[in-house]
Amino acid sequence: MASMSQIEWEPCLLTQHPAPELERRFARETGRPGQLMRFFEGSPWTADTMLRVSVQIMTFVRIDPNLVDQVGLVVSQDNSCRFCFGMQRAFLRVLGTSEKRIARLEQDLLTGDFNPRERAALDFARRVSQSKPLTSASDLVPLREVGFSEEEIVELAGLIGMHLFLNRMSTFVALPPQRMEDFPDHWWMRIIRPLIAVKFRRMRHRSKPVALLDSEKTGPMSAFVNALDGLPMARDLRLMIDRLWGSSSLPPRTVSLLFAVVARALDSTRCQQEAKQMLLEQNFAEADIDQVLTHLSSPILSEIEALLIPLARETVWYQPAQIQRRCAELQSQLPHEQFLDFLGAVSLLNSLCRLGVIVGMRA
Amino acid sequence: MSPWLGAALGAAILIIGVFAWRAERESKLLLRRLKAAASELENLQMAFSRFAPDEVIERIIAEGVTDFGEKKEVMVLFADLVGFTALSENLEPRVLVGVLNGYFERMSQAIGDHRGYVSTFIGDGILAFFGATDPNPWQGDDSVHAALAMRAALADYNRELASRDLPQLLVGIGLHRGTGVVGLVGSQRLKEFAFVGRTVNVAARVQDLTRQFAVDIILTETLKQTVDPSFPMRALPDTSVKGVEKPLAIHALD
Repeated sequence: MASMSQIEWEPCLLTQHPAPELERRFARETGRPGQLMRFFEGSPWTADTMLRVSVQIMTFVRIDPNLVDQVGLVVSQDNSCRFCFGMQRAFLRVLGTSEKRIARLEQDLLTGDFNPRERAALDFARRVSQSKPLTSASDLVPLREVGFSEEEIVELAGLIGMHLFLNRMSTFVALPPQRMEDFPDHWWMRIIRPLIAVKFRRMRHRSKPVALLDSEKTGPMSAFVNALDGLPMARDLRLMIDRLWGSSSLPPRTVSLLFAVVARALDSTRCQQEAKQMLLEQNFAEADIDQVLTHLSSPILSEIEALLIPLARETVWYQPAQIQRRCAELQSQLPHEQFLDFLGAVSLLNSLCRLGVIVGMRA
Repeated sequence: MSPWLGAALGAAILIIGVFAWRAERESKLLLRRLKAAASELENLQMAFSRFAPDEVIERIIAEGVTDFGEKKEVMVLFADLVGFTALSENLEPRVLVGVLNGYFERMSQAIGDHRGYVSTFIGDGILAFFGATDPNPWQGDDSVHAALAMRAALADYNRELASRDLPQLLVGIGLHRGTGVVGLVGSQRLKEFAFVGRTVNVAARVQDLTRQFAVDIILTETLKQTVDPSFPMRALPDTSVKGVEKPLAIHALD
């Protein structure tokens, strides 16, 4: 388990640029300061995806929000994301979680005394996050045994996936964690905490089930999106995925290749098959696909793909500083939008490929 | 309200206040101790992580499991310094240790950068595995990339040593693929995360052959079959090694 205070973290790769409209939208929809959006100005898809995911981690249909907040903290710790951990920790403190309770989540997760529902949810969250190997039906048994309904399990998994996206994106660009880490301990914060808590509680809202439209049930990775049908995040995911494959900065075949590589690293048969089918439809020969997936290189790859494919596999399991240095190298070789969209794409693909277990549930 | 009642109430509030203040102070003290203990535990866990992969440590903490093993296909890298014994006799002990530590540091970095796990240092030798810890479909290519990175890192290190008037280092690296058991091996008092099987011995023997063929990196045909054919390799004559029935098909990495 990562010790957050000792995790090596590189300087932030991104500079902030004012993005008034995005900042206002972020603040309006999440109740949090919109400055975060300044980092992602210049990449409409990545900024929009960050915003949508940030809203979705605060939207609940059946699951207990307090449980998911704890899951968010544990997943951030598991992914060694200092930025998200600091953010989630501050969020929990503002909402009234005691320092002692947070310390237990942070330092005593493996042996700590949690109630059975918490223990099952936290263990499941870490299993999905690590995916060594991918979760299977047997990982759902402990959740069912403590009374989680099928709908709650799907929602929990979806929310874990959302947190995984934010963890990766924030880590790859090394968002500065210091401000978030110090935030809850300021004296002035203690005074205004109750006021902010009211605002946060209002933003963290219950939603009614939202069904996908028929037109939203097809497209890349539809098995994953459809498995989340009924949750608001499913509609947002459909939009994010469609826009990713329609991106102006990354050609569809490049996105499909990234999908295939992440799927292979995670040993997801379902995702590998879908990615392979996509590549065949994009006139890739089967032998070329096999060559790329076996050795992460091929003469058929474009110059940009030859850069991105080996790095895509690095995004599956990583040490923060190491991947941040690799991302910094890449940044100097790509246009800004393409760089951010690549990182957003692999973050999203990593999250979705880890959720195969819920596809099986709905099949 | 009578003055006596007011005074009594005031005194009661004061006493409660004092108790509350003491309770708060004690609670803070306990929290500080708890944090210090947790931090110590974290440091211990960090120290442990140098001896075994994170997953193994977590399993030991959570389940108290110490006897476990798993059969896996693993790539083994064995590296040894050529002629270091003779070299060591001509260097001051402190200088020798400094040179050796600098070498280990750079080689470990090159191996770690390519997802290898350094299992142990044996004298001036290094034993590393690829695919022993995390699932890795590219472990064969990773082991070859690591060997090439070690070659480059050693060239850099030799330039540094030359600038300090210190002797140059030469390394021999043997690479092999095979199955074996990974697990915690050892006595109650001393355990290490290890890969047990003939593959390790073969990698060590292949490493020995680098001297015979005057090359720095040799890999076996078994490994070559799984790695990117675009790596610059040339076949060497099949060679018998101790412990293996048939002569081994081997290749030099240029």
